[in-house]
Parts: sequence; structure tokens; C-alpha cells
Amino acid sequence: MKIDTLFIDNAIPCDAETEFLISSLKTDPQRINDARTVYDFINDSDDPVLKAKKTLYITQNKGSVIKKCPGTCYYTCCDYTILHAGTFCTMDCSYCILQAYFHPPVLQYFAGLETLERHLDNTFRQNKIFRIGTGEYTDSLIWEKVSLVPKFLVETFAKQNNCLLELKTKTVNIDSLLSLDHNGKTVIAWSLNTPDIICSEERKTASLKARLEAARLAESKGYQLAFHFDPMVIYPGCEIHYKKVIKQIFDYVRPESIVWISIGTFRFMPKLKQIIEKRFKHSTICYGEFILGLDNKMRYFKPLRIKLYKQIISCIKEYAPRLLVYFCMEDEEVWEKCMGFFPKKEGELGHLLDKSAVAHCNLNSTLL
Amino acid sequence: MSDLLCEINISDIDLTNEQYKISLSRANIPFLARSIKEAGLICPPIVKPLNNKYIIVCGFNRIKALLQNDRIKIPVYKTKPGITDYQCLLTSITRLAFKRPLTHAELVISTKRLSRFVDKEEIAEKSSAIFNTELNTRFITDLLAIGALPDPALELLHCGNLSFKSARRIAFFEKETIHIFLNIFSQIKASNNKQLEIIQNIMEIAARDGIKPRDLFNNQEIQKILFDKNKEPGLKTRDLRAYLFKQRFPTIFKTNQMVREKIASIKLGNKIKFIPPENFEDQNYSISFTAKNYNEFKANTHLLTAALENKAIEEIFSQ
Repeated sequence: MKIDTLFIDNAIPCDAETEFLISSLKTDPQRINDARTVYDFINDSDDPVLKAKKTLYITQNKGSVIKKCPGTCYYTCCDYTILHAGTFCTMDCSYCILQAYFHPPVLQYFAGLETLERHLDNTFRQNKIFRIGTGEYTDSLIWEKVSLVPKFLVETFAKQNNCLLELKTKTVNIDSLLSLDHNGKTVIAWSLNTPDIICSEERKTASLKARLEAARLAESKGYQLAFHFDPMVIYPGCEIHYKKVIKQIFDYVRPESIVWISIGTFRFMPKLKQIIEKRFKHSTICYGEFILGLDNKMRYFKPLRIKLYKQIISCIKEYAPRLLVYFCMEDEEVWEKCMGFFPKKEGELGHLLDKSAVAHCNLNSTLL
Repeated sequence: MSDLLCEINISDIDLTNEQYKISLSRANIPFLARSIKEAGLICPPIVKPLNNKYIIVCGFNRIKALLQNDRIKIPVYKTKPGITDYQCLLTSITRLAFKRPLTHAELVISTKRLSRFVDKEEIAEKSSAIFNTELNTRFITDLLAIGALPDPALELLHCGNLSFKSARRIAFFEKETIHIFLNIFSQIKASNNKQLEIIQNIMEIAARDGIKPRDLFNNQEIQKILFDKNKEPGLKTRDLRAYLFKQRFPTIFKTNQMVREKIASIKLGNKIKFIPPENFEDQNYSISFTAKNYNEFKANTHLLTAALENKAIEEIFSQ
């Protein structure tokens, strides 16, 4: 992680956690009383998004630490639980919603391992299966080299049996996790794309080969794995390219180690388009056949989504017939036409995923 | 302004010098000439002595009208000796701006000329005094960018063929691309939203296909649409938009067309509306009809019942 400017909230104590972070970053911190100092610093830049990627604000989480994934009403959500440990990302993907989601975008690290522990303890005490991830508002493992959080989470989750931790990433930052006693409760998940898309749209991320090599290494240390094809981008020849990626997955890891694979095509808030056009001048990612979806996001025209999904699912099933594949934010028609069924009841998709979590991570099956 | 009111020979005015002309509106000169005959010259033009002649600072149309009235001598305000170009320009702009709001084209001309003397921040700061309205620096930057567009941008802006937003959008394109859009908007007549849609579709098709907008513009279909002498500008707009949509969204276009054809083949008549879901994202088709009486109701239900036997209706729902 390369940080040019480091701000730290005056309310944050100087403890082992922040000391570790500051010493790892090798940047002198500026103590501030008001978050507006950070916002102004970022907003004054010609490219606030880029500036925010080089500016870290160590602060406390003033909102929910653990919360349900918001989802939307029309498209089926997987009932994921978000552990809010930080925001934004140092990598630079053209399609990243976080560029438009935060105003302004701020790379924040929420200090306070004891706060995390307290909230997690509450969750661990509930008689329910939870799939918890830190990769919703940030990449889970950009922090691995500078923060104690990933190690803390893996070790904390190892001691319970109703929650799965999913660390979702496009990095290969797993070194410090390899020797940990994870007790099978942590899933390391990679977001995958075709080499063409990684090269053109995912700046500063690890290559496909590096991600798969990291997955193989994680698997060798007993970690469960997951893969997310999201966002899939439709372009001439994309089907062949995505199929090649799928083949590569199974060249590197065993199907049995994979808890699930999610798939979802590129969708975006309309205002993201301007940001992409301004920041990624050579990107053509927004020039597909998009329509305004029922959640007010731009989505590929449904017949195009269905056509791609069908091929991808059938390809995955060729290699791993029993592997759980699910859609992130798709509707009944897409599920029916591509998967042959639709998890119609509330929580049905979540239950399917919980079952896979229980089976792979040895969670308490009586809670299903 | 303490300019000197005097009478000069109209032949002493250099009519070719329009360096202070701001207004692009074509006043009805015969009407103005007649008005001057009937009511007299209410407000004399302002002229500036230059090289033994006079140039007009404001009152271009009035002088044309006076010429039409065959006047030899006319009353004018002669500017003070030593008046600067900047002061004359200010006089010209403020006279017009405090009479009526300036059009976008006039604002473009005014700011472009003012920028020779003061920077955009100063124009913004003085805008209420000059333009009778406050203009911020960002807007002035846009005006200057549009002012840098080549001909016939200003003329198109003035006559409404090029909206202010479209002009601002194309102002940042490459020179060649700018010329292409000016060429297109010289041939068609479209609302602001339609202009922006045309610009967006052309730029996106070109970016997606890795070609220059010029290549798309030179496409035979587009040339045929734009330069058809028998076609009204409005029809050209319709055809151009349809062609661009087909290129930009080929699958959506084909699907729409196929469903429309299938619906037409069911022959439900004019009274029954069969509408597919918008963009086919939702799954709900809407079927509706109105009936004034029982017979109409019966006729419509018979048509719908007959449609059940038509394969097309099944195909629509199972596509």
C-alpha cells in the first residue's frame, strides 16, 4: 500500500494497532480533529478519486460495524453480512462503484480491534449461520501488509462455528495468513476476470495467473476458496475468454475447495459513466448495450446477459457439477432460464449459500 | 457617458467595420425605418471617430434603417477622444444587455471579445454590471470554449440548430470531430436532448468500434440521410437517430423489431394495445383495450381469443 498522506483522527489512541499501521506505511501522520480536513484535501484535487487512493484516514467507525447487505427489491440478493472495517481501495478499477458511491471517496481504516471483537462476539452468540465479508466497501486484503485486522479476523473466526469469514480480493496479499490457524472458517475469495479486462480495466491489481497461484497456495494451507465473476463484461469473444478463465481455475485448484462461485454482469449507477469517461479515457466498458434496470442501475440488455450466463454456467458445471454457482442481483427470469430454478422465497438463496458454508467450513449444521 | 451629440454625414460611417457588433438578431429594418419616420429617432446611435471616418459602437440596425430612409445627415453620439476599445466594447454590450437579456450566441461573442482585455475571473466579477446578470467563472469558461468553435457554430447556436449544451459538449472534441458535428447540425433540426443523444451515440459507436467519428459520418447511410435534398431537417433528424440507435444498440433494436413484427402479425386491430415490457427487463407485457359498448367489448375479446391460436403470441412469451 503506497500512501502519500496519512491523516489520523485525534480521537484514535496510539496503541499497538495504530502503531503497526503507521510504522508499516512509513508516512508521517497528521493528527486532525475534523474529517472535513480530509474531505477538503481530497476535493481540492483535479482527480479526487486518484487523490483518495493515496490518502489514508485512520478513524473510528461511527456507523454500523456489522450490517446486512442492502440489496434491492427486484433483484435477488444473497443475504450477505458486511463487516465494515474500512472504505475504498488503493487499486484502480474503471468500473468500481466506490468511485461514485462515496462523496468524496475516502480511504478509511476503522481502528479498534476491540470494537470489532465486541460486535463479532454478539454475532457469534446468535443461533444463525452468517456469511460475513469485509470486501463490500473495500478490498479485503489491500490491508494485509499494513494492518493487523486480516490476521485478527482469521484468528477470531477460527474460534467459533456459526460464521464464515469471506475475504474478497484482487490482490495476492495472503502471506501473513498462510501460517494462521484458521480452523477452516475463512474463505479467501478472488474476484476474477478475463486477462483482457484485467489489463484494460483493473489498474494495479494482480494478474489472473498471480491470483490463481495465490488461490492454489491458500488451498494448500487448508483455506476454503471462492471466486466471483463480477462484473462480467460483454465484448466480442468474451464467452471464449471467460471459459478459458474457468478452465484455468480448475487447473489450479480442486472443485472441492471452492465454496461457491458467483456471477454477475457489469452494472452501474448512471453517474459512474462520467467518472469512467473522465478517468479511463480508453475504456469502452460503458458502451455496451445497457438499459436502465429496475433498480435504476444501467444493466446489459437481458437477452445478452442470459446468453453469456448460460455458457458460463454450463462451462463451470462441466468441471464441477456439484459446485454452487449463484447470481449476484439477478431476477427470476434470468435464474429460471440459466439455472432452471429460482430461489423465490425470501432468504432461499441465502439458505443455499449457508448450506454450502456449513458443508465447507464445518459450521454448526443444526443452525440451518 | 458624456458623449457628444452631433450630426454627421451618414456616408462618413464605415459600415463594414463590425468590431463592436454583438447582436445577431435580424431586426426588421423596413419596420424600424418606418418607425423612425413616424416617431423620429428616439435614441441616436453611438459612433467612434477612426481614421477620418466613424465606426459604429451601437445602433447598427438604426443606421441601416436611416440609410433606407435616404437620410444624408443623422444625429449620433460621438465618443470622447481617447476612448479605448475596451470602453467601446463595454458600451456596446451593456447597451444591449440592459435593454434585453443577451442570447447565448451574444454572450459567446461578448465574452470572446472581452477576453482580449480582461481574464475570465474579472469578467465574472464584473458580469452583473456588464451583462445585467451574474455569470460564474465556469460558465464563462464554457462561453469561451464555445467561442473558440469554428464557423458556422455561432450561426447554428443563434438559429437553434446547435444548443448551448451541445456546443459545450463538442467544444472539447478534436478539430475534425467538431467539424463533423457542425456539418451534421447544419443539416438537421433537433431539440437539445436529441442533439445530445446524436452526439453521444456517434462518439460511443466510434469508441466502441475503434474508429474515428469521421469514418462513421462518411458512412453511406448517414450521408444519404443528411444530404437528401428532398428531406425536411426534422425527418433527417428522425432517420439519423433511428440509424444511430440501430448501430449503437443492435441487439435491442433487433429484439424490438422482432417483437413489434410478431405483435403486428397477431392482428389485434387498432383498439387493442399490446405493449412489451420496457427494455424487456421486466417480464410483464401489458394488454389493454377500451370498449364503448357491449359489441365492441365482444369484438375485442373475440380477437384476443383468436390470438391464442396464433403461434406468434406463444413465441413472444417464450423468447
